[in-house]
Amino acid sequence: MVKKLSAVLMSSALVLSLAACGSGNNTNGEATNAPGNGTDKPASGDKKVIKILHWKQENINKVITDINKKFEEKYPEYKVEYTTTGPDDEFKQAQRARITAGDVDVLADLSGMRLSPKDWTPGAKVPDWQQWIDSGLIADLSNEAFVKNYNANDIAKAGTYKDKVYAIPTGKVAMSGFFYNKEMFEENGLTVPTTWTAFISLLDTLKSKSIVPIVVAGKDVWPLKLPVFGLQSKILGGGDQQKWIEGVWKGTSAFNDAEAVEVLEKMKTLQDNYFIDGFLGIDYATAPSYFATGKAAMIADGTWDAPTIAAANPDLKFGYFPIPATEDAAKNNSLVGKYDVTWYAAEKGPNKEGALKWLEFFSEPENYTEYVKAAGFLPTQDNIATDSDFIDKELAPYMTGDFELAYEIMMINRDNVGEHIAAEGVHTEYLAPGGEFKSAKELADVQQKEWEAAAPK
Amino acid sequence: MYPFGKGIKRYLPLLLLMIPLSLYVVFYFGPSMMTVIYSFTDITNVPGSKLNFVGLENYYSVFNSGNSGERWDSIIRTVYFMIIVTIVQNGVGLLMAVVINQKLKGDYFYRAVFFLPVVLGVSVVALVWGLMFDPLSGPVNQLYDSLFGYKDMFFGSFTHAFGYIIFTQIWMYMGYSMLIFLAGLQSVPKDLYEAGYIDGTTKWQSFKNITFPLIAPSFTINIILSIIGAMSTFDIILATTDGRFNTRTMAYDVYKETFRGSLQMGLPSALSVVQFLMILVFVVFAVKQMRKREVEY
Repeated sequence: MVKKLSAVLMSSALVLSLAACGSGNNTNGEATNAPGNGTDKPASGDKKVIKILHWKQENINKVITDINKKFEEKYPEYKVEYTTTGPDDEFKQAQRARITAGDVDVLADLSGMRLSPKDWTPGAKVPDWQQWIDSGLIADLSNEAFVKNYNANDIAKAGTYKDKVYAIPTGKVAMSGFFYNKEMFEENGLTVPTTWTAFISLLDTLKSKSIVPIVVAGKDVWPLKLPVFGLQSKILGGGDQQKWIEGVWKGTSAFNDAEAVEVLEKMKTLQDNYFIDGFLGIDYATAPSYFATGKAAMIADGTWDAPTIAAANPDLKFGYFPIPATEDAAKNNSLVGKYDVTWYAAEKGPNKEGALKWLEFFSEPENYTEYVKAAGFLPTQDNIATDSDFIDKELAPYMTGDFELAYEIMMINRDNVGEHIAAEGVHTEYLAPGGEFKSAKELADVQQKEWEAAAPK
Repeated sequence: MYPFGKGIKRYLPLLLLMIPLSLYVVFYFGPSMMTVIYSFTDITNVPGSKLNFVGLENYYSVFNSGNSGERWDSIIRTVYFMIIVTIVQNGVGLLMAVVINQKLKGDYFYRAVFFLPVVLGVSVVALVWGLMFDPLSGPVNQLYDSLFGYKDMFFGSFTHAFGYIIFTQIWMYMGYSMLIFLAGLQSVPKDLYEAGYIDGTTKWQSFKNITFPLIAPSFTINIILSIIGAMSTFDIILATTDGRFNTRTMAYDVYKETFRGSLQMGLPSALSVVQFLMILVFVVFAVKQMRKREVEY
């Protein structure tokens, strides 16, 4: 009996220790933060430290380090401690840990202030940022003068919660289009297509000349969402995405209604015929090199990647056009996107006053211009000269109206939705040949089923 | 009578024991127990928020919410992963150990080579096999193409990715199993083989009747380690497919819910308790079975 018992005890001790070993690894996430890249040494003397947390993104990190240097020169009583972590999950972990511990003054967020539950979304999850604001962890910026430097519409769209300003959206990116190789288009007598039919015939022409039409980083899955965002914004709700999104909550539209199926079907056409073979095996870091070296005529990517493409081949002449989702050229003629880096100031951080001072300095048009140029964003301050041909000539014609937000920013998911509609996307990677769904309708039906299964009980 | 002296000194060993014990309780047992307690609450990762007991609600939503089907898939996949890894890893490990134990030329070299992947670590192994299995330019696909005229998507395939993860996991840890078997093999007394040789045993008979029973303790430890290791694996999945393409397991789900999900910590706590219980059941069962087999001559 004793032997038996000891066996059970022994084994459970083993399980405990080893199981914990396994999951223990990930807590190191924050410890491995950017040793070389940014973390300044602790402040010396009686300087007041401002702690800024951001994710790694080389071009932006560099310009912020420059701005920090200027800030310290102008205000010698402050010392800026700029920490960067790996992007996405690693950053999210660091963000949570630091704001919970009150160990940060200025906090970055990607496309901040989204997914807030509305009155038409019963049971939707409250996002992190909203819980932080509700718990009084984020500073109210409504009365700060520097907020007025920014475009009021942008602040209202991506910085305001319950009529108070809590965040500074520092720039916009567009993502519902393709970069295209201008020389390749010229050689083959092609022009930027404005309707779906023209687009398909262009793709066929490229194919008939044995040119790979489109490369996309399918291995990371999310780049597949980018052209879909274009399709969704022009097709869903007859071009009124918001109506369709509210409709799925209210039951007046559905993931398997004709419009949603059309979105999936058009994407399936591209995936089946015009994307590079084996696109599900290409990761995001290498995809631009296929395009930059002329192995494909187009790449489905966001405008933020323009500097990467330019760096991969400085001689390449490239442009950008929105996916022509419908037969209506006028309707197709705009890009959808999102707000990128967003700043919060921590209310209970060690140095709130310093955080506001830094944000004020950052918002000065001179510093902001430097930032937005380096980041490659569309500015959220008015009258900023970006000096970028890409932004001024390629993107500007498609950005004339009100800034259209992408599906992933507007959609609010039900809690615990299934994987085919998880993370505010429609996941076309599940379509054949890679995935198990032979037709768009099959996938759409499963999506609708998953949506209904997640309805609050 | 008083090996440690009299008076206060008598308690010195106990006091010294208290140091590691308290460390264990504070940093290990305590947090583990708190996970169990948290699994019955609606705890969130926001300072100042209140904590309420919600009974079995978290467990209910693990098995009965919109995406519970995926959780069941994860559980089934975990068991499948564990069974294949345990059998193949130990089978291959034993084979390698027996071969190396033949005192061939360069056995130290091979031992080091087979053990190398364990030392390399998960990120490196995932990177190496990510390059090997690159669907566009990887050598394995070229081999497939020239041998069978077939191309695979490897870690980007909904049907095959999990198989390749199992392969990578086994490739990584078989050297570890081998080392434990090797230690067991070298502790088998040589005279038993000599006695067998005189009695005219064949190689297979001497392996079956002498080696195999005598390395039973190595078997027990290897099997337990691989069950626990396999069922709590999430790192190799994170590093290769990141849970995409039907490769999520329970341990990966726990990671995902904790660090990428909402700020609610009740659900991931409940998930890890379920995972712990499952591992416990399998390990207790395995230990009982394996203990029966252990013999001494």
